[in-house]
Order: sequence, then C-alpha cells, then structure tokens
Amino acid sequence: MEIAYYPGCSLHASSALYDKQCRDVLGRLGADLKEIKDWNCCGATSAAKTNDFLAIAMPARNLGIADASGYAEMVIPCASCYSRTVLAQKALESDPDLREKINAELSEKIQGKIKLLSILDLLVEKAKSGEIGAKATKKLEGLRPACYYGCLQTRYPADIQITDNVENPQGMEMVCEALGAQAIDWGYKTDCCGASASVNDSDVAIRLMSNIQKDALARGANCFVTTCPMCQMNMDAYQGKAAAKYGIGQSLPVYFITELIGVSMDIGTAELQLDRHFIEATELLRGLKLL
Amino acid sequence: MSSQTLTIETETAGSLAQEVAARSGQNLNACYQCRRCAAGCPVGDDTGVTPDRLIRMVLLGDREAALNNLLVWQCVACYTCGTRCPNNIHTARITETLKQMVKEQHLEPMTPKVAYFHNAFLTSTSHFGRLNEMEFMGIYEIKNAQNELKKGGGIKAIIVELKNQMQLGKEMMKLKRMHFSIDKIKGLAEIKRLFAKAKK
Repeated sequence: MEIAYYPGCSLHASSALYDKQCRDVLGRLGADLKEIKDWNCCGATSAAKTNDFLAIAMPARNLGIADASGYAEMVIPCASCYSRTVLAQKALESDPDLREKINAELSEKIQGKIKLLSILDLLVEKAKSGEIGAKATKKLEGLRPACYYGCLQTRYPADIQITDNVENPQGMEMVCEALGAQAIDWGYKTDCCGASASVNDSDVAIRLMSNIQKDALARGANCFVTTCPMCQMNMDAYQGKAAAKYGIGQSLPVYFITELIGVSMDIGTAELQLDRHFIEATELLRGLKLL
Repeated sequence: MSSQTLTIETETAGSLAQEVAARSGQNLNACYQCRRCAAGCPVGDDTGVTPDRLIRMVLLGDREAALNNLLVWQCVACYTCGTRCPNNIHTARITETLKQMVKEQHLEPMTPKVAYFHNAFLTSTSHFGRLNEMEFMGIYEIKNAQNELKKGGGIKAIIVELKNQMQLGKEMMKLKRMHFSIDKIKGLAEIKRLFAKAKK
C-alpha cells in the first residue's frame, strides 16, 4: 500500500534517524511511504504562540500538496507536525473564508480530502491485524519500556476525537506486546517532558523531565519508548542534567517506537542508526541478547 | 500562591474579555473556577498563576495582570488544562492569544527568552520554508545575548548560555545529528506571501 508521507523538519535534520527508520520499518510492514513534494515547516508550537493565521496557513499549504498527491491517506510521524496539521485541517473545514484566503496564495489548493494518520494510528492497525507480530519475529524478552506519549499524541486544543484513551493511552503498549516487550504501567506517560522549554526555560524543562524519569525508574522500566522526535531529542539530550540536579541514579535510553520494531525485525544497529543516541542505546539490547 | 485580591475594572472588563474570547475561540464565561486545570498544570508551581486565575484576570478586565504574568510565558502548551476542563476551555489557547497581544502592543515579554525562541523559529522558517536548526539557534542566541547586554553586565550569563549550546552542538555533531545542508523549498514565494498576509 502506498501512502503519502510528511516527514517535517526534524526528521530531515536532528532526527533524520527517525525518518530512515520510518521508511524501513513501515516499508517492511507493507506501507510504502511516498514523501509529498516540496513540503514546508508546519510552524510547530512557535507559530501557534506567535500568529494564529500562520499556525493554520503553514500546515494548510502541506494539506494542499497532499490533497493533490492523489493518495487517500498521509502519515505524519512527528507528534508536533501531526497535531498542527490535524488542527489546521479541522479549522479549515469549519471556516470557508479562511480556506479561501489561504487558497488564494497556493498553487496546490486545499481540498480537504486527505485523511491524516499519526504513526501510532498506522502501527496500532498493524499490531491488531497481526502484521507486526508476523514480521517482527525476535521477541523483545526482558525489555521493559515506559511507553511515553507526551502531550501532543493525545491532547489537542480543539475538539479532535482520538481513538485512544486521552489520560491513559494504550496504543504503544499494544505495539510493545506484539513485539514481546513488557511495557510497564506508570503514571507519567502523558505528562509534558518540557521539550519546547528545554532551550528557553531549562529549569522548568529539567524539573518536568525529572518527574518522568523518577516514576519510570520506580516502576521498573529499563528504557523509554516514544513516537515524538521532540520528546526523544529532549529526553535523550537532557536526562543526564535532570539526573544530576535531582539526584536520580540513572538515565534510561529513549527509543523511537520504530527502533524497537526494527530490532525485533532484526534490522542491524547501523541500519537503524541506533548509534546516534545521546544515551547509549545498544548496551541494554546487547545485554538482553537482542542485538 | 498569593492571596492578593482581584478587583473588577468595570471600564475595561467587557472589552478585554471579549477580545480574548474572540481571538482564542474560548468561552471564558463558562469557567466556574473548579480548578481542575490548576491541579493538572505542570508549570503552576513555577508561575504562581494557574489557568483559572488567568481566566479570572481577563474576566475582571485586569489587562496589566493578564499580559504580565509568568503563566503566559511559561505555559508549555501541553493542553492538559483544556483536555480536563469540564467546560472545554483551552487556556493554552488563551496564553497563545495573550502572547500575541504582548507582541502586537510592543510590550516587554516577561520571559524574553521564550519570545526570542519562537520568533527565531519563525524567522528561520520564513527564510527557507523549512526550519534550519542551526540558523534558528543562531538567531535565538544573538537576540538573547543582545538582551543580556542591554540589561547590563550580562557577559557571564551569555558565556554560560553559549557554552551549554556549544556542548550540545558538539555532541550532536559527534552523533551525526547536526545537519549542515540548506533545505530550501521551491515554493518559498508562497510561504513569503502567507507570512505577509499574517502581518495584516
């Protein structure tokens, strides 16, 4: 099945490993990702905090390109890009004047056709159908991930229906189960890690992360798993700081969900780019004889 | 949290509440101060002002307090308050609106670094159509350093800040997570037109 794909800026830069993993892993699961042409930045949290028009108009241009691509669905792995794009689509649906105003500047007009999927929507479907279980044959015995959803995978500042539970989502746990990993039950899976504040308000960001770290460790997790590149980067790069400041004994590797599926499919370390983590990410897997 | 008394500004109350409600799309009048938002706010301890309190400031017409409080700037846009609100009020949308009002009225942001960060993000995006992470951080750090200098005697703070950033940059380079190529889109003219429209 071919599906339109919006990587977003992060997956073309600091989280390029996630882009590669998405293509590899989803490809092996039968979803052939077709990157839409000439996409632009979604504006992320910054546009929302700066200008209401841009917050809609930036993802709107991508929606127009996706509508013209001819594909029925588009997957957006980054939780922030997904959130902004879904919000824009919803706003444009209910505001024809705004759609008109934006369409006037676009060569590919917004038609409102494309169905948007988060990476978790796609993966949960593949877990339920048994495709993940069938393709990911190396069972991740001994891996106890704390499934970390962060803010944007389940919460939207508008009336957007999600299929998972907002306060206690289970999608990633379902994928982990298909991989044979023992996801832990914990209390901070949808708490904010402070990613958007890590540079400009670091004391707050570090404190938020320390809460997440402490709970995951207390519940016996040996790693985090996430779908969001903002969370991954923040928790990977700054967990050490939180550990030092708050006297936490250990920092845990932070895996993208695609990495766990990839390991289970026996895709190698180099191909998955598992060596690009701030917190060493291969040792745990080697210790469990998974690499 | 302070127990300072809020007083209603009868002259301005209606107009501020109406402006914020219209721009944010949130029905502030529906707030009955149950404080579920306050209980879930991850930065409430840092800001002193919680979402319910901010809504109250707006409803009472206290423009000064509504535009000058730490919640407006330190809100991490996690959307917990709005998701849990029994009346569906998204206070994160209200903090977004108030931040925009501060900018439009050329007021000094209470936490300048937050404003510089988001402005720098959009500036870089407007240059290429996509975010250039290195340019983004460069613009942010220059703006930040300028402000520290303006405040006077901020050299030490600038050095600490730059050292932290350079440490991160060095590590990113080692891990091949730093990208030097310029990713410029063909339809940049469309982005520029959208940015121009946004200014109107």
